[in-house]
Amino acid sequence: MKWTKPKAVEIRC
Amino acid sequence: MTPATVPHLPRGVRLHHDRVRGTMVLLAPERALMLDEVGAAILGRVDGAAEVGQIAESLAQEYDAPLAEVSADVAEFLSDLARERLVDLHG
Repeated sequence: MKWTKPKAVEIRC
Repeated sequence: MTPATVPHLPRGVRLHHDRVRGTMVLLAPERALMLDEVGAAILGRVDGAAEVGQIAESLAQEYDAPLAEVSADVAEFLSDLARERLVDLHG
């Protein structure tokens, strides 16, 4: 697995 | 934040495997964030004992990626989450 910029996406209503 | 900073998840914030989506999510009171693989790998190492520098070194080794790039991305990611009070950087 390649290193990519980490992401965290808010789960909306 | 310095490489010696020891991040930890605040009370009420935890990592959770969402079986429906097959992804890791960061759960906080009234909030949930879907994590990609790298984000989950970072937060999976946030145990209240590991320093930011150690987390970055471990990931750079695992992903065979340049330490400078990994360190910068880890610091930015944790800073963003700390701003949202989803990670605590202050002991």
